[in-house]
Amino acid sequence: MPMKGRYPIRRTLEYLQKGDIIFKNKVKIMTVNYNTHGELSEGARKFVFFNIPQIQYKNPWVQIMMFKNMTPSPFLKFYLDDGEQVLVDVEGKDYKRISQHVKKILGKSEEVLQAEAQAKMQASNPANFGPKKYCLRECICEVEGQVPCPSTTPLPKEMTGKYRAKMAESQE
Amino acid sequence: MFQVIGGRSVQAVRLLAPRSAVLVEAVRGRKSRNDPVAKSKEGRIKVPPPVDPVEMVVLKERYSEYELIMRALRLEFKEEVLRKKYEEETGSQAEERARQEKEEHRALMDWNDQENLQMLKARILRIQKEEEEAESKTVEAAIQREEELQEFIRQKEKEILQLQEEAKNFITLENLDQRIEEALDNPKNYNFAIDKEGSVVKRTVLQ
Repeated sequence: MPMKGRYPIRRTLEYLQKGDIIFKNKVKIMTVNYNTHGELSEGARKFVFFNIPQIQYKNPWVQIMMFKNMTPSPFLKFYLDDGEQVLVDVEGKDYKRISQHVKKILGKSEEVLQAEAQAKMQASNPANFGPKKYCLRECICEVEGQVPCPSTTPLPKEMTGKYRAKMAESQE
Repeated sequence: MFQVIGGRSVQAVRLLAPRSAVLVEAVRGRKSRNDPVAKSKEGRIKVPPPVDPVEMVVLKERYSEYELIMRALRLEFKEEVLRKKYEEETGSQAEERARQEKEEHRALMDWNDQENLQMLKARILRIQKEEEEAESKTVEAAIQREEELQEFIRQKEKEILQLQEEAKNFITLENLDQRIEEALDNPKNYNFAIDKEGSVVKRTVLQ
């Protein structure tokens, strides 16, 4: 299968997972206005080309819209939960600076992300057995190297309950 | 009536060596509504298992206590979960956290506004500079055009003067005869050779 597009690395999972802008919960819509020609829009164009896939991957529930050649100068606009609109002017800025700026004002900080990861780990203990929806495994027979499920292969005689009961009875 | 089995119970039933191609096993509720009773069960009266009253009393007590305890535990746990959730959303800490977040958000928005203002100033400067440059360029272009026009006029004037000069030597109807006489009187010899520098080398003798 051939690689598609000018920079097909943007389509790899590794690249997408490297994205570090995770928006706060109150950001709902992100809008990018930029121009297809012109030196001042260069940073915005690179931002759209390289960083938007990462952002959308990490924030699947944020609506991102791109508008081309509508205004003379490029800008970003964020629409928050409570109706607030945040305007970010990106004329002449470098795309790395733009992404740092966005991360600073509307991204989740490192501590928050770590706290969330901790909470998720605590909620899902891998040592628990239960329904597949909540735990990793349902029965010990699913683990490699343990006794297989008696529904697939019958247990050896010595392990069955009725044999043991018979032996115990015959001994008394 | 018969259920086709697959998967886990396949291997166990395979040991029973079925002759049919598809593996089937008997399932509870084999007979439908209108099937007659089996011959071996014709006079059967179903009798429930006998109940021992003493055992019944003891069991009832134990079961009621057990169920009471279990129900209490379950409700306790449910209440704990609900309380935790309530604390999370509308507890004292939640309010503080919300306030702190609002503060941080406002600070960040202010910082963003500052950045925007700076960009605005830079943009105004840039636009002014561009305007000035455009103006100076137009002025320069006007001057250039003026100069070119002047140059053109001068060129044309020079040509006119040159033509006037040459006009003195023209042959007109008045001095036609005179010029003819002059030409006949002074024959010119064009038979000469020149070298690479342009100086005359040889001349023939005029007859």
